[in-house]
Amino acid sequence: MKKTAVGLASLIVVALMIWGFYQAIYVAPDDAMQGYVFRIIYYHVPSASVAFLFFAISLIGSIGYLAFRGSRPERAQISDAWALAGAEVGVVFCTVVLTTGPLWGRRAWGIWWTWDARLTTTLVLWLIYVSYLLLRRFAAGPQVQTLAAVLGIFGALDVPIVYMSNRWWRTQHPAPVFGGDADSGMKDPTMVGALLWNMLAWMAWGLLVLYFRYRTEREHQKNAEREALEALEAKI
Amino acid sequence: MDQRSILDHQFVVAAYTVTWVIQLGYLAFLGLKWRGEKRKGRPGNPR
Repeated sequence: MKKTAVGLASLIVVALMIWGFYQAIYVAPDDAMQGYVFRIIYYHVPSASVAFLFFAISLIGSIGYLAFRGSRPERAQISDAWALAGAEVGVVFCTVVLTTGPLWGRRAWGIWWTWDARLTTTLVLWLIYVSYLLLRRFAAGPQVQTLAAVLGIFGALDVPIVYMSNRWWRTQHPAPVFGGDADSGMKDPTMVGALLWNMLAWMAWGLLVLYFRYRTEREHQKNAEREALEALEAKI
Repeated sequence: MDQRSILDHQFVVAAYTVTWVIQLGYLAFLGLKWRGEKRKGRPGNPR
């Protein structure tokens, strides 16, 4: 039953990805100012949105772990698995943002990178979560999950700063596509449609990968628990 | 097609390709990790 559901979800995701690609390349018109290269936005913006969402999931998981670790160990482990999955898949999407952005910038601005507020805070966000993953990978001992949860909570504080950076400060980065002032955002409905379809497609893809990562971590936790029990029994 | 359009096209192709390489690369890494954990959890697995 579970396998059928995952198979069905995968099929829907693939269909959405193909439809999103079709919308971005063949349906949406060239931008009046930027021309064809504007189409990079249809992958760049959804990736940023999904990364933000997954860092939020990581934040909730981290808070859950700290809340339950003393009283409900099973719930704490589940929360920790969500925290790790959210951080890891979020980093993947953030990496896409940090590679597609400079590719667009090179054509639109003539430079690969500039230290403006939006770009710098996004790079800091990526570095914080990469350090979170390195901590989980290389640190040992009973406090690793607690330390990671604290880092996860502080890392998530950068998300609203990234989001608001091009509202609070004058940046080279374009104005917000959604939630900006009256002059910002897309005016052509087919452009908006292409962006929304790609947002839906990448969200669906991300959620499927996130679920897969969560299941892998739960499996890892169960194996680690079994190994610890066996080691204990062998001592007794 | 003029020079500008060709370059624009190449940059879009590069961005979309990089996106898919990152996403599919991560999915492959995750698949290997999942298989490793499943193998580890199998009864009678030598540890």
